[in-house]
Parts: sequence; structure tokens; C-alpha cells
Amino acid sequence: MFMSSPAEWHVDLLEIAQKCVYCGYCSLCPTFKELKWETYHPRGILEQIRMYFSEGVKESVQVEVSKSLFEAIFACTMCKACENICLVDLPLLKVWEQVRQEAFRKGRWNPLLLSLYNKVKSTHNIYGLPTEERLAWANLAGMNMSRRTKKKAPLAFFVGCQASYSGKMGNVAPSVVKILRKTKVNFTILGLDEWCCGSPVFLAGGYSAGRDFAKHNLDQLKELGVERIVTACSGCYRAFKIVYPRVLGEKWDIEVLHITELAEELIKNGKLKLKHSIKEKITFKDPCELVRHCGLVEAPREVIKQIPNVRFEELPSNKHEALCCGGGGLLKLNDSDLVNQVNSRLVSEIKYTEAEIVANGCPTCKDTILTGVKNDNLDVEVLDISELIVRAMEGEK
Amino acid sequence: MTLKKNTRISFTRHLGKNFKDDYTTLQVYSRDMADLPKLVKPFIGNVPDGVIQVRTKEDMQKIYEIANETKVPITQRGGGTAGFGGSVPYKKGIVVDTKGLEYHFLVDPLELTVTINPSVVFSDLQRQLNLEGFSLCSYPSSFHSATVGGWIAHGGYGVGSIQYGGAKEQIAALEVVLPTGEIKRFTDDTELSLFVGSHGTLGTITEVALKIKFDIPLKHQGCTFDSPAELLKGLKYLAEIEPFSIWFLNPDHVALFNELFGYNLPLSYLAIISKEVSFEEEEKEFNTLFNNAIRSSGGQILDRRYINDIWDFRFKGFTLIGDSPDYLVTEVILPIETSDKFVRKLVSRFRGKIHLEGEMVSPTHYALLIYLLFEEKLSEIKKTILTLKLYNVTTRKTKAKGIPYSTGLWFSGYYSRIYGKEQYKQYLEFKRKVDPKNISNPGKVISPKIRFLPIIKLKPIVKLASKMML
Repeated sequence: MFMSSPAEWHVDLLEIAQKCVYCGYCSLCPTFKELKWETYHPRGILEQIRMYFSEGVKESVQVEVSKSLFEAIFACTMCKACENICLVDLPLLKVWEQVRQEAFRKGRWNPLLLSLYNKVKSTHNIYGLPTEERLAWANLAGMNMSRRTKKKAPLAFFVGCQASYSGKMGNVAPSVVKILRKTKVNFTILGLDEWCCGSPVFLAGGYSAGRDFAKHNLDQLKELGVERIVTACSGCYRAFKIVYPRVLGEKWDIEVLHITELAEELIKNGKLKLKHSIKEKITFKDPCELVRHCGLVEAPREVIKQIPNVRFEELPSNKHEALCCGGGGLLKLNDSDLVNQVNSRLVSEIKYTEAEIVANGCPTCKDTILTGVKNDNLDVEVLDISELIVRAMEGEK
Repeated sequence: MTLKKNTRISFTRHLGKNFKDDYTTLQVYSRDMADLPKLVKPFIGNVPDGVIQVRTKEDMQKIYEIANETKVPITQRGGGTAGFGGSVPYKKGIVVDTKGLEYHFLVDPLELTVTINPSVVFSDLQRQLNLEGFSLCSYPSSFHSATVGGWIAHGGYGVGSIQYGGAKEQIAALEVVLPTGEIKRFTDDTELSLFVGSHGTLGTITEVALKIKFDIPLKHQGCTFDSPAELLKGLKYLAEIEPFSIWFLNPDHVALFNELFGYNLPLSYLAIISKEVSFEEEEKEFNTLFNNAIRSSGGQILDRRYINDIWDFRFKGFTLIGDSPDYLVTEVILPIETSDKFVRKLVSRFRGKIHLEGEMVSPTHYALLIYLLFEEKLSEIKKTILTLKLYNVTTRKTKAKGIPYSTGLWFSGYYSRIYGKEQYKQYLEFKRKVDPKNISNPGKVISPKIRFLPIIKLKPIVKLASKMML
């Protein structure tokens, strides 16, 4: 397998590592906060990059450094907190992705990661399940999607692998469809022709394979005359918003919306009405990929505000300072215990708010928070924001 | 690996996976914020033989027991965010990373204290306190990365120090594992003073009771001055307002602000003054006092539009050096009364390269953070010479009566100048009692016996070396 790196993604790792002023502000890294060794500290990783990539470095030193460097790089949740706080604006996310690519080149991915990579490449979904099951969510929800599948429409709902295949996410796609139907939006879905957005492949450092996914999805969308795409998955959203334009260039001219952005728009133009109050206290967990990667902050809050008599309380760490749930960066494949450790900090914040519903806009966050609240015996309902919108739209079911 | 086999076995037996001595870990722990110049490294054993992440005070007792038996030096490390080398080994040995210490957070709302583990980072602590309606009194400008224990060991100052004092004034109690292995709780002011700025040479802090206050909102005002003399005069007047913080920048630093953020700030000495204000009358009074102070000192009031933006930049000074190919940084404490000439000389000596950020740390003194920015990457020799030059400039016995911000590795031997001869005597007496074998962070505070050190005295050696190499 050859993994190419598009020029615009390529950064000079050594140069960036040398620019680090070692202020240590990136100590807010969720992984470092748990593991506490400086080798996991973003500045410590940059120090290892300096050693690994320095000119004339001995091979024995490189091998030695790589053990710790690659371990640290796959313990990263890619939450982007380090890049956001970096005082000298280092493009750290690109650095981490590129080091992951180097690990791949050296054959140092862990087997689970390699297995995911191969699964996604061969089955076009993260679970390695048959393509025919991609629409199972609709059947289970008793929805007939045949009239909406692969039809010409200005808007496409990109369901995503987790909402398509995962039982835990069973209500997410039907909720989005209910919102679209209720507001009489002309939309389509790609059905069996929807491929994974490629996000996990890109996160693992697999650029050329990821590009195939991007090209395929673009071709499908173009065929249907799609101008806008909506998703309830923050991973897909980031891929469309940030990665696809880099990979596909100007060919990618489709407007990307998160379901909260579309809902906000529909509320503003009077098509979506949230008539039913929700008596439970609500908090919102900003997914890293929405808030820090894509800067989406207000739309979810604007939507929640529209729920009649809503009792909403922000998490202590919110918006750009939101805590990572621990589920990002493919960490689950590398260290599931660490995911739980990282997640426990978020669960403590949820507990602090005394919220009865935690809304979020990311299936990975939802899955991780569900595990966290269960481990903590916390009586909190974890809902995707699309599920929350439907509840306010239709009333308690 | 230079640890004796049996010593290594002793550490691994008791610390297990919390002991590491692989090549990469040792290298990563061989520096703090300021990496040592390559030319200086041969004189220093900055790469440790092992790193331990200490979890409990009992672990720490065991570490000291083994260290005493084997005479292996211990160097404690908090956030590793200072540039004075306090957490960098001087004689190799073991780095004890305190970030793994057990988590504590207990607010006493009546005594207005919070009991914490020393490894907590200030911004995390402040967030937790704010959630309960409290706030730290004073905190360092490395707010997002410095640990409480590191700040105390370093003898730091920071935002709020003009009102609430430096690290010393923040401590209600300390729990310390002494090098003898004894765990002791200190509450007496004289004893507490000895631990401030001692860089772990007297023991390892394992718990801190820190003074806190109610979370009172801050109001900010800004002003500018045309010269260092006017600035210092202004600081004197402004200090009388009893502010929470006075922070100032030199014109070159202001120019960087303008360049980076598209501001149009006047290229003068710029100061931001903050005061705790609970109600409207207090704010009015603050405004009046501020206006009077500026009028009396000959300053100009700054356009209010900029003030909050500049204040928000309070902890991000390093942003301004991001594009410089090379830089040097140091910090010094200076009295307002006598430092006018010193500042003028400093600015003229490093004209165009020097950027200054000052914070009043008492009504009479300020901490001056000095950045030297260069347009090209410096050679190792040039960098070493300039580093030593800069450090000499800031520490030589000038009429300014300035003192180094901290001792650490760079300024070991300067303790008595910072804290006074009487305290130094007490320090030495205490040191002899609790660490007769000098295993707790040797090479810091007290000058090592090797005459090359403290580092700033290396200047003649480096000059000679550079002549030979050139």
C-alpha cells in the first residue's frame, strides 16, 4: 500500500517542532492529563519529532525514539485542544496526522487500526458489514426510504456509518428524516451508494485511500444535482468541511451543513416549530470536530433555546474549551481504558450541571458518553441533538 | 544508563512502571522551557538516569530512602514551564515528576483556603474555584501550564501579586516529604518562607493549602507613557490606587501587537491597570483615582476599545515571538525607584531587538520579562554568548538594585541577594539538617563547588572556547 500526502497537507515536521517555544500550554491535552508522562505532552511529542527527524540522526536512535513517539501519537484523541491554545500557532493536527503516516510507512500501526483501515477500504464502512445493510436503520424505524433514495434533489442527507449500522445510534437517522419530512425539505440519500466519508482513514493517516472515498461520494452527489449536504455526524461534517476541499480542491463545491445549522435555518424561516416543552434540564456537549475543528458553536445553542420553557445549562467547559469525550482520533482502537479515563472528566462535568439530558452532535461522543454515564451509574439521558429536536417537535414519545 | 544495577533494581522494585529510563524519556526530561545552549551542556549532567512519576507521599519517602542510600541526586519537576533550570538535573540522577501525585481539592470557605495536590495547573484550579464562587489571589503569567508546586518551589510572582503578594504570601500550609523521609506539615511563616524559591532542595512538596478569595470581577483601565522615566513615575502613582494588577509593555512590544492584530496603539510604554470592583461606586472611585494618577504622572489615557482585548492577551505573551527565527528570554525583579537608568540602558544596548513585559509584584517592585528577538537563527556560540551577556546584564550589581527572578540552575548562588542574608543563613541551617548528603536537587540555590558554576559565570570559558573554535 502506498500512502501519498497531498502537497497542501504536507508540513515540515522538523521545522514545526523547532518552532515550539515549550511554553507547555498544550498541557491541557486530555491524553497528557491522564497519562501525565511528558512523552505524551504535545510539546514532548514535538521534542521526540525533533530527535526522530533531525538531520544525520542515527538509525538506532530513530528506532528507539519511534517506540515512544508512535505510542504517543496513537494515544492522541485529535481533539485539537493543543492547536487551539498554541501560542505560536503551530499546525499541530497536521503534524500528528503526518506522524501517523510515518508510523504506517514503518509498519507500526497496531493490528486493530490496520484491520479498521482494511475494513473501511474493502466494505466502505467502519464496521466491515455488508453494504446491503446500510439502509437497515430505515427498515428498523419502519421508514420507507425508497422514494428518497438516489433521487435528484438539492439537498442530500449523508447518514454516515455509525447512524447507518450502529444499534446505539438507531434513532439518529430516523430523527433527521423526521425533521426533513416535517419541514417538507426536498432531500435525497445515497442509500447503498453512500460510502464512509473517509474520516477514520484520514485520521489514521491514509490520504490516498481517503481520497478514493471523497471522489466516490462527490461523484454520487453530483449525479443527483446535490448543492447542499446535511449530516448529524461531526466526523462526516469535518471530513466534508475541511478534508474534502483539501483533497478534491475546487471540485468540492457543495455546501456542508450540520443538522443543527439546518434546523436553525428552518426555525428562522418558520418551517420548523419546536412546540413541545421538555421538562428535563438539558446540557450540550460540544463535539471537538464541530467546535474546535470547524468552529461551529452557536447553531446547537440557538436550536436548544427555541424549545419552550427550556432549562439549559452549559457544561463548565464549553464551546472552544469543551472537554474531549475521549472517543476521537481512533483512540478506542488503541487504548479503550484511556478513553474511559478521559471520558470520566467529562462525566464529572455533566454531573456538576445536574442535567437530565446530555445532547450532543456526534455519534462517537454519544457512544462514549453513554458508556461513561453507565460506568458512573449516572441517571442521564444521552441524546443526539436531532433526537432532541424531534422530541421538541413532536412531543414526548 | 549510569545508575548502578542494584540502584536501578531498587527503584523499579518499588516504583514499578512509574520508573522509566528509556532513551527518549530521559531526553524529554532533560530540559525545561529554555533548553540549555549546546556549549553549556558538557558542563551539566542535564540528562537524567531515570524518571519517576511519583503518585503518593509514601512513594516519595521511598525515593528519598533509596537516594540517600545510593547518593543518587533527585530533581523534582512540576510543569517544567520556567526557564531557570530549576527542574533540570545538574548531576544527572533521578527526575521526580510530581504530576502524578494523588488528586486533592478541598475548599475551606471559612478559612478561605483550598487544599490541593501541588501538581495542579493554575488554570484548572482557577476553573474549579470559580465554579464554587472563589478565585486564586495571585497566579503566574504561565497560568495555563505552571503547576502550583512548581510556582512555590520557584518563588514566583504574577498577576495579582501587587495586591496579594507572590507565592510566599499565598501559602497557608505545606506538606513536605523531607529528604530524611519525614513527612511534615508546615504552617509557620518563617519555615514556609524557606520552601519558597528553594527549588525542592529542602524536600518535595506533596500538598499545599493555598489562600483564596471570593471571585470579584475585575475592571481594567489603560494608559501610555512616553519614556521609561514617565512610566516608572506613573507606576508609582498607579500603585497607590491599590490595584489588583499593573501590567506594562515597551513600545517595540506594542508595535508587535499592532502588527499582529491590526491595532493602532500608540508606540509608547503601555500599561493596563486592573482593580477588583464589586459595585458601581467602587468603579466610579477607581476611574477617578486612575484619572488623577495619570494626570499627576504625565501619562495619557488609552482608548477603551483596546483595553479588554489587550487584557485577554495577558497569558499569551509568547504569541508575539512566534515568527522570530530565534529569541532569548529572562526575567528580573526591579525597584521602581532606581531602575529608570537600567531600563534605558537595557533598551539602548539591545535596540530594536528588545521586548519588555512588566508586572508590578509589590507597590515598589516589578518583574520585568525580557525578550530578545532576532531576525536570523543564531549560531550556538553566538546564542551562548548572548544568553550569558543577557543574564549578566540583568544580574550585575547595578545601581538599579535588581535581583534575578529566581535561582534555579542559571542563578544558583544568588539566593541571598533575592531573599536576604538572614534567610540564607536559616536556609543553610535547615538544609544541613534535612539533607546532609545534598541529594535533593543539588546545584540549585547553593552554588555548586565546581567553579564553572553558576552557569552565568561561564562567560569567560565560552569566550575562550569561541575564540579557539573561530
